[in-house]
Amino acid sequence: MDLATARMAARAAAEQLLTPWAQGTPVDDAQLRRIERFLYKEARFLDQEQHRDWYALLAEDVFYWMPLRENRQRRDSRREIDPDNVALFDERKADIDLRIKRLETGKAWIEDPAGRHVYSITNIEAFETATPGEFEVLSVFTLYRNRSLRDESTLMGRRRDILRSVNGDFQIARRLILLQQALLLTKNLSVFF
Amino acid sequence: MLTMARDYIDLKSGAVDRRIFWEQSIYERELERIFARCWLFVAHESQLPNTGDFITASMGEDGVIVARAADGRIHVSLNSCPHRGNRVCFSDSGNTRAFVCNYHGWGFGLDGSLKGMPEEKLYRATPGFQKKDWGLRQARVESYLGLVFATFSDEAPSLAEYLGDFRWYLDAVLNPEEGGTEFLPGVTRSVMACNWKIPADNFSGDIYHALWTHLGGAEPTLGQRGGVKIDHENSWQVSVNGHGWEFGTNMIGNAATMGDREILRYMKSRSDGIAARLGAFRRDMWGSVASATVFPNFAFLPGYFSFRIFNPVGPLKTDLAAWTLVPKNMPAEIKERFRLGTMRTFSPGGILEMDDGENWEHCTATNAGYVTRHQRLCYSLAPRGQEHTPDLPGIVHRGQLSDANQREFYKRWAELMDAPTWAEVPMAAATKPISEVA
Repeated sequence: MDLATARMAARAAAEQLLTPWAQGTPVDDAQLRRIERFLYKEARFLDQEQHRDWYALLAEDVFYWMPLRENRQRRDSRREIDPDNVALFDERKADIDLRIKRLETGKAWIEDPAGRHVYSITNIEAFETATPGEFEVLSVFTLYRNRSLRDESTLMGRRRDILRSVNGDFQIARRLILLQQALLLTKNLSVFF
Repeated sequence: MLTMARDYIDLKSGAVDRRIFWEQSIYERELERIFARCWLFVAHESQLPNTGDFITASMGEDGVIVARAADGRIHVSLNSCPHRGNRVCFSDSGNTRAFVCNYHGWGFGLDGSLKGMPEEKLYRATPGFQKKDWGLRQARVESYLGLVFATFSDEAPSLAEYLGDFRWYLDAVLNPEEGGTEFLPGVTRSVMACNWKIPADNFSGDIYHALWTHLGGAEPTLGQRGGVKIDHENSWQVSVNGHGWEFGTNMIGNAATMGDREILRYMKSRSDGIAARLGAFRRDMWGSVASATVFPNFAFLPGYFSFRIFNPVGPLKTDLAAWTLVPKNMPAEIKERFRLGTMRTFSPGGILEMDDGENWEHCTATNAGYVTRHQRLCYSLAPRGQEHTPDLPGIVHRGQLSDANQREFYKRWAELMDAPTWAEVPMAAATKPISEVA
């Protein structure tokens, strides 16, 4: 796929993630339970640095996006979140593979000794979308990180996912990550969300 | 506490006293003698295309509003109300006709002048009160090829003198083609628990760290060839007035770590055009394995074209803000590739930048130890002496694996810290013809 086509697909994915939230019919309780199980499993993979297991949960056409935030006047008519702006993550599947490869080299010195992290996933809501088998899933994450002794940070934010039903399980087709900080109050994002 | 700053820097042996990264009294003098006196980067003109456009920035710990006024000029105003001192503007960017303080409603124009306030008639009845005396404090503002700098010093030399012949080198990234440059939209802001000088000196001359620090980040794009490759014999360190640039000469070495062949193809296609404009030497600097610092705290990476500022927040914390600069005439598709490539390498989640912050934090934190901070650091790497090359201005060393620029950075630091006035700060005379406009 050439860049222009890829860019059009990414922009369409971004615009889908910027549409009004929670407009569809809420899924039934059984489906919500399946979705929750999937999100908890995903969080456990990230907790335990099972990066390749986590990677396998991403759809081939995944769009994974953490835009920058900015302090703006309420009257400011510009979109705060715009697909053409520089972002913190603006990734397709191959880009995430590259990031995992850094960790797999064994030469990312700052990851050794390993840090400790825990993801808490809450406020899970799920809705039908216009595409059968795809669900809009809202959640809140809290990521606690600790390295060495006193080195710690807590990052909290919202996610808006499009999960796709595949072979009785799910894949992440789209993910918007809204970190609620305009100044990132941690030294790096050597993590996934 | 601080007697003469030059006692903390031994230029002959390259020993640097670690207390300069730790002590509050030294930091207070830095705010006075460096950040309140030097030309500091505040904006790129492309961030303020229209009347009323503004951004907020920091000059040292002094917050400022950078705004384009109706006269077309960019004004830099202290972001603190002269009435009771409250911060005036809380937005990172926007467009406005006036800035109104939240506390008592004093209103200021884009040029910082006091326009009015509630119950203004009471002030009119106050003997001696004149609105013209109580505007937002103005900084001097000058630009070079789109980069806007400001200073609160009336006695500082002009920006042209301050940059001197470093401008000739800056043209390699600021003036590679017609039409000038712009920042891509969006600023990436993050914090590091490090002294501001550690990243600033790193960018001025430390490619040495890349051979080890960035092994893990470089392998996924460069392959298992030992990470970043340095051609020591065909590379340089240059320094002018404390500004430093270390660089190789293969034109695309930095850009290669982004792992995007289309970017490299584009850069190669520009080779002849840039050589015709700037000569082969600066063409080869354009995107090579390189980094640079404009003294004191503005730095950039050729090839990624990430431009960044290291703003001090006390001696032990630094706020990092970073932008991506591209030629305006670059094809949109290539701009898009740089937007993504710079993010993936040099941003808080970038495969290269992530490995730097941790080192810099611990280079700072270890100084908590009394014995530790009374050791001196080794900035002594000097495999070759200074070159005297008529074509290349400034203090020139062949071989980019050297501490030459970093020693010049600390020499400049000590000169400014010890000088009561700007008149005592030595300035290198400019020798090179300079680009007037992009």
